[in-house]
Amino acid sequence: MKKTINLLLFFTFLLLANTGFSQYNVLNIPEAYYGVSGSTGKTFTLNIDDNVKQFRTGQATVTGAINIDPATTNTFWGPTLIFNKDDVVHMNVTNNLNESTTIHWHGMHLPAIMDGGPHQIIPAGTLWQPYWTIKNQAATLWYHPHLHTTTQAHVTKGIGGFIIVKDPTEAALPLPRTYGTDDIPLAISSRRFLSTTNAMAAQVIDNYGDYSMINGTMNPQVTLPKQVVRLRILNAEIQRGLNIGFSDNRTFYVIGNDGGLLNAPVAVTRLAVQTGERYEILVNLSSDVVGAETLFLKAYNTTAEIQLLTGTGTNTFGWPGLEGNSTTPTGNNGPINGGLLNNTTYNLMNIKIAAATTTVTPITTIPTTLVNQTYWTTADVTNTRTINIGGGNGGSAFTLDGALYSTTMTPKTINLNAVEKWTIVNNNIFGHTFHLHDVFFKIISRSGGNIGTTVRSFEQGWKDSVWLPIGGTVTFIAKFDDYADSTWPYMYHCHALTHEDEGMMGQFTVNGTLATNENVAHTAFKVYPNPVANRLYINLENLDNEIYYITITTLEGRTAMMLPKPEWQNGIDVSSLATGTYLLKLTDSKTKSVTTKKFIKI
Amino acid sequence: MKKTSALLALFFLASSFSFREITTEKKIKNFSLKSTNNKIISLEKYKNAKGFIIVFTCNKCPMAKLYSERLNTLYTKYKSNGVYLIAINAMDTLVYKEESFKLMQNKVKKEKLLFPYLQDKEQAVAKQFGASYTPQSFVIWKNKLGKWIIRYEGSIDDSALEPTKANNYLETAVDELVQNKIVTNPFTKSVGCRIFYRGEIAKMD
Repeated sequence: MKKTINLLLFFTFLLLANTGFSQYNVLNIPEAYYGVSGSTGKTFTLNIDDNVKQFRTGQATVTGAINIDPATTNTFWGPTLIFNKDDVVHMNVTNNLNESTTIHWHGMHLPAIMDGGPHQIIPAGTLWQPYWTIKNQAATLWYHPHLHTTTQAHVTKGIGGFIIVKDPTEAALPLPRTYGTDDIPLAISSRRFLSTTNAMAAQVIDNYGDYSMINGTMNPQVTLPKQVVRLRILNAEIQRGLNIGFSDNRTFYVIGNDGGLLNAPVAVTRLAVQTGERYEILVNLSSDVVGAETLFLKAYNTTAEIQLLTGTGTNTFGWPGLEGNSTTPTGNNGPINGGLLNNTTYNLMNIKIAAATTTVTPITTIPTTLVNQTYWTTADVTNTRTINIGGGNGGSAFTLDGALYSTTMTPKTINLNAVEKWTIVNNNIFGHTFHLHDVFFKIISRSGGNIGTTVRSFEQGWKDSVWLPIGGTVTFIAKFDDYADSTWPYMYHCHALTHEDEGMMGQFTVNGTLATNENVAHTAFKVYPNPVANRLYINLENLDNEIYYITITTLEGRTAMMLPKPEWQNGIDVSSLATGTYLLKLTDSKTKSVTTKKFIKI
Repeated sequence: MKKTSALLALFFLASSFSFREITTEKKIKNFSLKSTNNKIISLEKYKNAKGFIIVFTCNKCPMAKLYSERLNTLYTKYKSNGVYLIAINAMDTLVYKEESFKLMQNKVKKEKLLFPYLQDKEQAVAKQFGASYTPQSFVIWKNKLGKWIIRYEGSIDDSALEPTKANNYLETAVDELVQNKIVTNPFTKSVGCRIFYRGEIAKMD
């Protein structure tokens, strides 16, 4: 009876509201977050929250989101962080989940201790305070959880967001850059919902979603002005590759990828985007009709590049998501690799055309040149390495150099300022997206596999992730500059999150001057005032000591604050702590010895 | 003698049901926990109780927070039938500062909770029930031998954000029990925030 009434209401609504009714949902455009300026830089407060969202009819879906407390009420995904090159950014990341997680700044060049990889675990209830100077050039980056074995689950919940880095070079170019108007971030993903509970499935078998979404909006529509528009595309899928194009096959222009702008726009009609990769594109809507709702951004996954190149209909080259799909919505017992969207061509987003902007000067032409990037060449190389992709037979986990990841595995060691040439060899049963932390690389060659020996025009430029088809080998060059730390490693891994969680990951440290092993047992220091209300100051007895890490825990052992390489000279803000007795554990930079002091918060 | 006849009755009853149904019946032992009003609450204290609605919930879980009003309604509806709703917070207070006893008291006051809200500090009661989410509800009912048996386990309903559209699983189960009927849908899946047990490595589900 209730259902009948609902249906009646629905049809009445359809009849009455034929002008206002839309079959689409308005695309969520995450709020731009510029941080709060202070004497030491800009502070960004990010809360990792559990939440619920009505994705489908019936039960609400348990989700995760990032919120700028108390300003936002996101139920999926998080704010877009806007950084300027040379900014010092201080991140106040609080984990309000019931379990540990991490936040990794994907594509950011920063000290390993701030990277948010599997080693920088933020326990439940803890405030983590990394900070760094923005050395990246203008680019589209993102942030997401990276705790080993639970990355897929936490990303599936919706935890993550974009980072947009701005710089003067980019600002001088005639490009669209008004966020939310002619400059739109698109985190493209999909989810599988379990029957009856509508829970978003996050097991290994759920590596392909059944329902597409952008920025957490299912069946989205975006209204774009009749001019040149910039779309920042992120493949935020768990595993699926996306062969992106427009429904009228119009030409669009790749202006940048993972690490920054290209030297010149590259004209394409299809763009293969693998997990973790970002592409900035320009699309010219100047000739479109205002009010039209006929243009779609689509995933042409039945005609993905592998099939265009080989002319076959089979997934010979391991393109993730080209496996056969299942024809009925799947529960938690759905077939492995059986997403409803697999091997289909589907709409990602409807585009509604609005009048050209008046407050923002519209860009009407595609520039012919952009920037002048200088890339490393083979002549610069000081060291070479080869990494072999293996495993996967009989359902076993994929491996790098035959090993499964463990946080305690011996890291590769790279000398600070080394320019290294890495060759990744994929003689494996599946395709993979190789992702490198810390620095960007320049792809210099491809061989084997279906892509051929040419580095594709749109993967020129600075990259942090690269696609390896079955049988493919890719060689790239990277310089490991600026940040050395022999203790905390950076990661390299497959960005298919299922593969990564199962252990397709390795780690490396960048080493500067030889680490000293002085046998100093403790670092003498005092904390004051004690008891403390707001700022806790540290008085180091020997000013030659450097503080590497401070953690503040309760007497029971719950971690309250984590401060990598703290700027302790101005005191530590402990005002957010509940009253009680705490332990301050100080790790010395040289010796890595830990000394503990007690203090009382009032 | 009384016991023998009861046992005999049970034997005949058992023969009319499948063997599996009888053996999978889960008994709940009496427990005593402190309520936010500082009183110790135990099942035994409810002399006239036919059954209990036990809801594992907590302070900060967004899914759990959506159900406060619905729990008040259920509490009011069934207490005159001798079916009492009790909420239990079994979150690890060592890990979550939001789940302290003091903040439980604040929640009761702020949300005007009518039912007892107990702290399961040792997580022993939650373990006895096998609770793994907040919110997760259980209906326990007194059998002929006077033991508490779990007759329903699962979600309160299937629409946290739109209560008017919900299938009220828990309410239906209690209604059936009140009418001496067999619960037609004794198990539903719970969703919400995970309850992690101290010292146990959580299994992904």
